[in-house]
Amino acid sequence: MSEEEQAYARKMKRAAQLLFFQRHRRPGVKGWELKRSLGKGYMKVLELLDAELERLGLEIKVIEEEGGSIENPSPDELDRARFVLRLRGPPTATDARLSGWRIDDVAALAATVAYILSRQGKALQRDVERLLEPKFPGWVVQYDLERFLRRGYLTRDERGMLYLGWRSRAEIDEKLLLNLIMGEEAPQPEQAASTDVKDLGDR
Amino acid sequence: MSRRGTASRKREQVIRLIHLCRTVRERGVDPFEVDVKDKLGLLDRYLPGWEALDDLSLDAEALNRLTMVIEAQGGWIKYRSSLLYVDPLLIEFKVRALDAKALFTSFVRAWRPILEYEQLSPQRVKEAVEYWNRLPSLRERFRRLPSPPWTRPSALSLEEMLELGVFSAQGFEQVLSEFAMELMDRAKKEGSVAYWDFIYAETYEETVRRAYLTSFLVTYGYARLELRGLGEKPYLIPASPVALSPEAGQPSSTAVPLNYETWLKVGEARRLE
Repeated sequence: MSEEEQAYARKMKRAAQLLFFQRHRRPGVKGWELKRSLGKGYMKVLELLDAELERLGLEIKVIEEEGGSIENPSPDELDRARFVLRLRGPPTATDARLSGWRIDDVAALAATVAYILSRQGKALQRDVERLLEPKFPGWVVQYDLERFLRRGYLTRDERGMLYLGWRSRAEIDEKLLLNLIMGEEAPQPEQAASTDVKDLGDR
Repeated sequence: MSRRGTASRKREQVIRLIHLCRTVRERGVDPFEVDVKDKLGLLDRYLPGWEALDDLSLDAEALNRLTMVIEAQGGWIKYRSSLLYVDPLLIEFKVRALDAKALFTSFVRAWRPILEYEQLSPQRVKEAVEYWNRLPSLRERFRRLPSPPWTRPSALSLEEMLELGVFSAQGFEQVLSEFAMELMDRAKKEGSVAYWDFIYAETYEETVRRAYLTSFLVTYGYARLELRGLGEKPYLIPASPVALSPEAGQPSSTAVPLNYETWLKVGEARRLE
């Protein structure tokens, strides 16, 4: 291995450590932090690491502070951007269930995000509650919404208006979610009455 | 109609227009609900008649609100022409019609969760070592604090307990019965509820009260306490007291200590979750 290759291998290892270990309240590392630690050519190091991560089903995603993707970022934008590690493809249904989210919580999140997306990215909390309450008990809806707010899936202003948070923008393929929901067949009444977590297989 | 009456009616219409524009802006209502051309014509007709400063301010406010509506209409057109546009009513209908399983599946397929590996980093260890080195001994810290007045421990009277909220003026049995109903409701979905989730409240006093009542629920057989997992996390399982019988097994006793530090820790864990 040449000296240059060795240097890149060392920097990739360092980049992986920076990306994997949570250093701040929010996951991910800022561009300027990566630059400080890996040098000016940090994007090249990240490209190489991304190729390695592909084999593990992971990817490095560059997001702005509010979570949105950045297309063709300038060096300045890269400095301010946040680099996060995320799954390259969707998790299996089993993995999603094992990540500590109950099926009802995820369903409530899906409904909330889709509802907000369809209303140009904002909706009153009481309208979202009205949407969810026929399906879930009131206290579960309250608990879920607070949890989505804490985790960064939603934000709320002083008027009680809900918006998509940085995490929704970073983690959810919004267009795909809307298409999938629109394409789902509503269950027959007898099916709808028996939603059972146990019978949910990976699709 | 008198001149004053006409002015008052016009003023009311302008106020209504301002309110309509505000609703569009704040509630995300379709901005094309406002017929801007018609409303501008209305303001144009009324303007020559305004004399008082308040009326002119009202007119300016309405005009300003209308420009905001036009801006919202621009945004609405841009959004509708984007790839993300789906009729909100259609989405609402679909969300209401789909069951939790279908929503879950759709979400998971569009989800790329971020990886978070929560672990002590060298930086945090360094900070911890620095903190530890700077931390004065307990004895030193206590020396700096004013000593609290010492009082001999004594029993609380019923009045004091009522004042602290440990007891309520309601009949204890009624309070306990309502509490048992709450437990049954909370555990309806899963069949059980985590002990700490159930007793935790916004204040330490309320948490103590809930822990106290829970101990009675368990003692009276309204609930069963089960320790689960390697960490032996306590769970409460509601049970009907009539279902309890000597065959159900020997009664056992489990102590779950609760103090202020524990309450703080549980609160922190819930916040992180």
